[in-house]
Amino acid sequence: MSLAMPERRLEKLSPSAARHRPWSPERGHALLLLPPLLLLVAFFVIPLADVVLQSFAGPGHPLTQYERIFTQSSTLQVLLYTFQTAATVTLCTLVLSYPVAFVVSRAKGNLLHLSLALILIPFWTSTVIRTYAWIVILQRRGVLNEMMLDWGWIERPLKLMSNGVGMQIAMIHIMLPFMVIPLLNTMRGIDGNLLRAAAVLGANPLRQFLSVYLPLSLPGVSAGSILVFISSLGFYITPALLGGQKTMVAVLIEQQASRLLDWPMASALATVLLVVTCLLFLLYERAMRFAGGGKTVGEVS
Amino acid sequence: MTDPRLWRILSYGILAFAVLVLIYLVLPTLVIVPLSFSSETFLSFPPPGFSLQWYDAFAQSLDYRIAILNSVKIGLPAALFATVFGTLAALALVRGHLPGRRLLSALMIAPLILPQIVLAIGLFPIMVKLGIIGSYAGILLGHTVLAMPLVFITVAAALKSYAPTYELAAMTLGANRWNTFRFVTLPMIKPGVIVGFIFAFAFSFDELILAIFLTNPATRTVPRLLWEHLNYQMTPVIAAATVVLLVITLSMLAIAAVYARTGARKPSGAAS
Repeated sequence: MSLAMPERRLEKLSPSAARHRPWSPERGHALLLLPPLLLLVAFFVIPLADVVLQSFAGPGHPLTQYERIFTQSSTLQVLLYTFQTAATVTLCTLVLSYPVAFVVSRAKGNLLHLSLALILIPFWTSTVIRTYAWIVILQRRGVLNEMMLDWGWIERPLKLMSNGVGMQIAMIHIMLPFMVIPLLNTMRGIDGNLLRAAAVLGANPLRQFLSVYLPLSLPGVSAGSILVFISSLGFYITPALLGGQKTMVAVLIEQQASRLLDWPMASALATVLLVVTCLLFLLYERAMRFAGGGKTVGEVS
Repeated sequence: MTDPRLWRILSYGILAFAVLVLIYLVLPTLVIVPLSFSSETFLSFPPPGFSLQWYDAFAQSLDYRIAILNSVKIGLPAALFATVFGTLAALALVRGHLPGRRLLSALMIAPLILPQIVLAIGLFPIMVKLGIIGSYAGILLGHTVLAMPLVFITVAAALKSYAPTYELAAMTLGANRWNTFRFVTLPMIKPGVIVGFIFAFAFSFDELILAIFLTNPATRTVPRLLWEHLNYQMTPVIAAATVVLLVITLSMLAIAAVYARTGARKPSGAAS
């Protein structure tokens, strides 16, 4: 309180000081930000800046690595394939998640808790473990091949792993919670009375959905899609284990860095990934602002 | 207009689709459970016989014992640091009026969003320069940075759930900043802090990519050991280890859920 008195007096005295907010416990909280900010600068911002710097540091002129990325057809192909896979995974996840989020958002009581648990348990299960499960299912003598052989659907085991399809099925499975949770956050905020109003005004369920529900759920759709797209772009574990010949960019970065020791190239690829992710992250922030409340991953009641 | 029965059928169709997707979400992981009790060495499904040999092998394995110990030695302090730093950041950004609050909040959750491989590439040379590559300190710092956003998100949500007037009242009654925090703010945000801590620990316990770059065989964590086994030798020991880890993760989640619920049930009256 002793701090407050002079400020209050100032407010009365000078008109310019009146613009200051009155005393509140919020003052001084800014200092609390210092330790986490220092930690982030030292072990997040500086390392990322270092990656960007390293990408220009190789032999030749500063842009040599980028020239290599965008002229070598092999690396260019990996980049294109990464974007293509991320887009496919995002689209499939959205199509699968939307009805789930819709149904769960209207559930109540124990049913709601059960379905939330079914969504959150995979969300918190290790990606290594979930990818391992897919290896068990998809490999040559795996669950799926054995079952299809037993039922006489196929005569020889199919090659389900080490190709794009198996990897994408596993990635969609792993990404589903990242889509369902933002969708759920948005859908739980949609007022059911709006749909009732539309019905009273003569809209059939399809019309209610298209002109009322879908537009209201779009913030969740964009937030979830961007989140899944970003995560898929930088996905390492599943492509490394299930991808086979076709690699994604994160796997390529790891190979360049730890196997070929081509640090400038790894840094340049990482910089490309970083820039794309940052742009998408800004989009995500904007989408969340529209969704209101600034909710993010894992924030489900 | 259209037949209402059509809409009813359609809504049942959506429900059935949602149930199928939920099954797709949960079932594949459960495939590991019967496999871990298999009597065979190679992966075969359904397992020809029942045995506990892989659990036995898992329990006997020195590699796994060291890796689990490492994961705990790294995860607990990382979660603790992440909790302290994440709570500080949430207090500053939710309760303080800082310029550029949006940007700073975005920076606080950025480590969770950015691909970990990029950070791993960036941290590696720095850890080498600091001489802590392969040590506990290196991976500990990396995991603290990555797990901090989880605590920041849960604690920020807890802080947003009640008005700052409680703290104002305490300070008006003469409490200093520390006592206000200790006796008003902390009891109010305690469930958020604890859930954040559990999330941070679970995250560190699962994290692979930084572990690949920043640990060595002496400090390697469980995910890295599993990763190496997946790449070089595929025995059902992995399945047994995986089931044990699943049970650990699920019990941590259950604890988090219980805390979150008790927190939601009595948001007030905690400031005694």
